[in-house]
Amino acid sequence: MSAARIFTVFRKDLKLGPRSPIFLYAVILPVLMTFVVQVAFTSLFEPAPRLGIVDRGDSELTAAAEGLDGIQVSRLDDDAGLRRLVEANDLDAGLVLPPGFDDDLRAGRQPELRFYIGGESLASNRVILSVTTLDLVRAVEGAAAPVDVVVEDFGGGTLPLSSRLVPLIVMYALVMAGVFLTAFAVVDEREKRTLDALIVTPVRLGEVLLAKGSLGFVVAVVMAFVTLVLNDALGGSPAGLLVTVVVAAAMSTALGLVFATAARNVQMLFALIKGTGFLIVGPVIFYLFPDWPQWIARIFPTYWFIDPLYRVALQGDTLADVWWELAIALGLTLAALVAVVALARRMQARLAVE
Amino acid sequence: MARPVSHAAVVAAIVRKDLREFGRDRLWLILTIVGLALFIGVFWLLPGSVDETIRVGVTPPDLADTLIGFSAEETRGGTGDAASQEAQPTQGLEVVRFDSAAKLRAVVSGEADGPDVAVGLAFPADFAGAIERGAPVTVTVYVASGVPPEVRQAMESAVREIAYFAAGAAEGADPADVVPVRQETVVLGPDRAGEQVPLRERMRPLLAFFVLMMESLALAGLIAVEIQRRTVTALLVTPASLTDVLTAKSLLGTSLAFSEAVLMLALTRSFGAGWSVLLAAALLGAVIVTGTALVSGAAGRDFMGTLFLSMVLLVPLAIPAVTVLFPGSTAVWVKALPTYGVMEVFVRVTSYGESWAELWGPLALAALWCAAVFGAGLLVLRRKVRTL
Repeated sequence: MSAARIFTVFRKDLKLGPRSPIFLYAVILPVLMTFVVQVAFTSLFEPAPRLGIVDRGDSELTAAAEGLDGIQVSRLDDDAGLRRLVEANDLDAGLVLPPGFDDDLRAGRQPELRFYIGGESLASNRVILSVTTLDLVRAVEGAAAPVDVVVEDFGGGTLPLSSRLVPLIVMYALVMAGVFLTAFAVVDEREKRTLDALIVTPVRLGEVLLAKGSLGFVVAVVMAFVTLVLNDALGGSPAGLLVTVVVAAAMSTALGLVFATAARNVQMLFALIKGTGFLIVGPVIFYLFPDWPQWIARIFPTYWFIDPLYRVALQGDTLADVWWELAIALGLTLAALVAVVALARRMQARLAVE
Repeated sequence: MARPVSHAAVVAAIVRKDLREFGRDRLWLILTIVGLALFIGVFWLLPGSVDETIRVGVTPPDLADTLIGFSAEETRGGTGDAASQEAQPTQGLEVVRFDSAAKLRAVVSGEADGPDVAVGLAFPADFAGAIERGAPVTVTVYVASGVPPEVRQAMESAVREIAYFAAGAAEGADPADVVPVRQETVVLGPDRAGEQVPLRERMRPLLAFFVLMMESLALAGLIAVEIQRRTVTALLVTPASLTDVLTAKSLLGTSLAFSEAVLMLALTRSFGAGWSVLLAAALLGAVIVTGTALVSGAAGRDFMGTLFLSMVLLVPLAIPAVTVLFPGSTAVWVKALPTYGVMEVFVRVTSYGESWAELWGPLALAALWCAAVFGAGLLVLRRKVRTL
């Protein structure tokens, strides 16, 4: 093995790679998926109530409303604009606070409060917004509530859907770069016969595979980090996250090399990846459904890197908490590399007779 | 002596040849069948109704009515499954009565089986009496796993409001005077509370578009192979003219996409009174995606290149179908996309039962885009074939 030759092939792929559609897929799609998942799916399945406020007197109520969890508040300038947005279902409800609202309230003069409800808003959102608004009014009025409210939350460690979707997006980034980019780079060269030309030079097949794998690995590490940053999922242990991402990218790349050496053409590569795809992405589904028996996820090989990633990035775990899972992932990576060596020998023999 | 062959016969022969090739291409054939089954399966698995109710457990049972008072309309019905637990659905709230705080806590925490309640409100047994005496009163709000913060917040607010009303009643105050504001509530637009369009219905245009898109990819693949292998030039030395080839490709693409879209719409029970408008929209959609297939098939250099270019062209076309999923008005730039008219017709026919008279506008817009996209596709493919 020559590091110089590996680097030459790597540099060539890095230079020509961005022209390949797969390279663009690997870079663009995780970003696009983040947008779709974070913006689209969370607002689709967990839509937050949307309240518009026209505040003509700089009321304390508006600032208090803006500080509420789970309610999207927007300030508007005029009554007509508010009505238009509520009617078009761009807002669930709208509130018009007249000038001097706070003073009238505190003086017990019962100021007017106009409350618009969108006809297409959910009934549950109407209840939430009307009851919460009344509570905000009471808070501005300054009267002490005749009751103490104690909350007992059984929420435990269940994360919101937007967080539970992060493993899916990160897995996608790792699969596109580590598996797909690596495998396609080899199979495409094989199909176009440029691999034949490469291995009649001093470059060996093993060096070509290592160079292609290195590119997939680097892109996988970068895209996994980009995806985690975009999803605000960097956890509290930078060292733990770095090690976990590196192990995840290494295992993805090893899987990519297995596909690269097993497939003879692009069609076969597609068929192999589609046929075994559920084994790769299987464990991420279990984060979406926390009620399912979670032990089933451990059957999938990729569980052993995606679970540490999930725990370090989103649940605040450190390397000490996930080291043994990462060790299993490294063991599986080594097993995949042993398979790559065997498949590469078969590939070399076939290239010689083709 | 060569017998003259009609253009129709030539076109039919090319379509037959392409259909055979399509049948032999296992990748697209399997993707077509599996995709169609998957999209129809997804449609039927999606929720067919909108859950716009917060389920709240209340103890002691007599305080349930006070909580129900927060809802604009009050309807009674439904039952809980545990002893003495009667569920009372209203607009936005469904109140379930519980005999004891211990049982309510156990059900909300998931330690015991019982009615599906997200939040539990445990008032003291002598709540009204304690408020009347001015004694300190504590109410416990039990919150189940996964309850959004705004619901928890609203339930805390509701408890305080009940206490204000109880205190007001104890002082003999008029209920209107207990509220510190004069609230005027106005519902804007048609009131769809309880009649929301379910996710299944909102997904229908997107699923129909996926079916159309799949056929566009398959047709682009077929054309790309003909271009790469230059078999199209071989065709042109037969009696087939370039126009015959383009007509055949267009017919094949449109009929495949249209027939699958119709099959998908039929199997999702989309055809009602507005069936003819729906068919017209499906046909326009099929022609638009065929136009994009002609462009990507002509320009793609290999399998991945064709796939990439097809996706680049098709993803923006999917945006109008995606925007249907979200509440609110559609942005102007989305209305300017070629598939907007088709998707608008799908939504307004299947979700709101509109007909030709109300939908001529979006249909005309779709027809204009259809002519533009299809014309562009023909032009690009014609130029490509001539350069071979």
